[in-house]
Amino acid sequence: MERWTRLAFPRTYMDRQRRAGFLFVLPAVAYFACVYFVPLVESLIGSFYRTLPGGASRFMGFGLYERVFTDPVFWNSVRNTIKLLALSVPSTVALALAVALGLDRLTLRWRSLWAAMYFVPFAVSLVAAALIWQWLYEPVYGVLNHALVLVGLPPQKWLQSLNQVLPSLAAINVWVRLGFDTMIFLAALQAIPGEYYEAAALDGASARQRLWHVTLPLLNPQIVMVCILELIFNFKIFDQVYATTQGGPAGASQTIIPLLYDTAFKYFRLGEASVMAVFVFVVLLVVTLLQWRIFRRPVDY
Amino acid sequence: MRGARTRSVSLARWLTAALVAAGALTVVFPFVWIALTSLKTPPEIQRVPLQLAPDHWGNLENYREVFRRAPFSRFLLNSALLATVSAVSSLVVSALAGYGFAKFRFPGHSVFFFAIIGILMVPFQSVVVPLYLWVSRLGLLDTYLGILAPDLVSVFGVFLMRQAIEVVPDDYIAAARIDGCGEWGIFWRVVLPAVTPALATLAIIKFMWTWNEFFWPLVVVNSPSMKTVTMGLIGFTNMYFIEYNLVTAAAVVSVLPILLIFVILQKWVVQAAVMTGLKG
Repeated sequence: MERWTRLAFPRTYMDRQRRAGFLFVLPAVAYFACVYFVPLVESLIGSFYRTLPGGASRFMGFGLYERVFTDPVFWNSVRNTIKLLALSVPSTVALALAVALGLDRLTLRWRSLWAAMYFVPFAVSLVAAALIWQWLYEPVYGVLNHALVLVGLPPQKWLQSLNQVLPSLAAINVWVRLGFDTMIFLAALQAIPGEYYEAAALDGASARQRLWHVTLPLLNPQIVMVCILELIFNFKIFDQVYATTQGGPAGASQTIIPLLYDTAFKYFRLGEASVMAVFVFVVLLVVTLLQWRIFRRPVDY
Repeated sequence: MRGARTRSVSLARWLTAALVAAGALTVVFPFVWIALTSLKTPPEIQRVPLQLAPDHWGNLENYREVFRRAPFSRFLLNSALLATVSAVSSLVVSALAGYGFAKFRFPGHSVFFFAIIGILMVPFQSVVVPLYLWVSRLGLLDTYLGILAPDLVSVFGVFLMRQAIEVVPDDYIAAARIDGCGEWGIFWRVVLPAVTPALATLAIIKFMWTWNEFFWPLVVVNSPSMKTVTMGLIGFTNMYFIEYNLVTAAAVVSVLPILLIFVILQKWVVQAAVMTGLKG
């Protein structure tokens, strides 16, 4: 307690120093408390109350949790989100790894040129990215179907097809994230000391063996990190769905965040939306803690 | 023997280069394609067989129509204003906090720091409903301040500035203190000049994030005059019929400022993005 009174009424030089430090961080602390901590607690509390017409609210216990967790629409959105993750995370990571390995072999000038090109989609808004692809996917006039017809394949319905809508959205996400992941891998590749490869070559290791036994194990932390980042990115998909399919056709691309948005701001069922908010928070918390567990484990070779 | 080996190595090298280049061109192709589409008339778009180039390269009718049909210049202005303010506020608050966390010890120091870093685990969507209710209660719906509320400071900024200020030598600060410089003066005249690269990185990335923001503006904005570029862009689509000549023109307008920043400040943008890890 005394520490805090001395913070308010400094007596010594050191007290004044402490107070200065405290005042420097105060705006940030106050801001994040208002924008994140208080609302997070309110989300948690709100998930136990149903807002009645007129603004009053009624305590529901776990009633709203039961309602959300027994709702097939909710589980459909969870299923779709998981399918999207399964489609897009492995392909993004594998492609990024391949591109980074390729870029690493080029001379500096070409490397930075091509790397910049891979990175461009990451800089534009997700809404723009989604609309750009919706035009490529256009069933009648889109360039992708023109190309398919040109090589003698039947045109596809892409975003308008029950089966293809999730892979099509996943492809947009791969396009957006590829350059970013590539940069992380490339930075890590260039940090690997050349001696490792020389030693491996002296031992008679072939290029493939060097890749499997030197490069990939050394990249392991980055691979784990990128997987987690992609998991989170794809889990939180909203803009792309909202801009293109709005969850359609027939709910085939309804994912969790767009459902949360509709529940809160279209149907004004704030209690149920808070339940989903808590669900999203808990899932991502578990994923992040898992990431820390993996990172804290020292890598052995 | 040796000659054959070198030849196969250089062949592999060329093949790698060709694959990497083909991939890069594929990634960039969608941008080229919308730029071409935005110069075409609707009949040109629907022409079979598909034609790559527009009939008239100088056909800017779609762009004129975009600005006629929606107050798109207002959207651009809104986004530019919001992105600039969020970059500046983020710089100020993050630099202050970064200095406080890097160079001072006070009660609550590590609790506050780890609490802020912990926010990286909180998805924005988990706090959006209460935040919306607060903004609404304070009468800030449909105002600049309301749109900016969650974008004024980012956790990444605080983290970045702490990392940058941590390596500023303590001797500089001590020397200024001995010379009679106040804490505030030290911050402005010693610390900030020493971390200009980090400040620039933060400003660029924050500007881009706010410019590209969509979810929160969608929640708080109602009137057309308060819409941002991303919202204006989505205004050109609907469920039944989409005029792609206009959508592509609007998309080009919306990404052009960001692409310019990217091309000019490429190195810093990439570095900043890689450092962020994730948007926070």
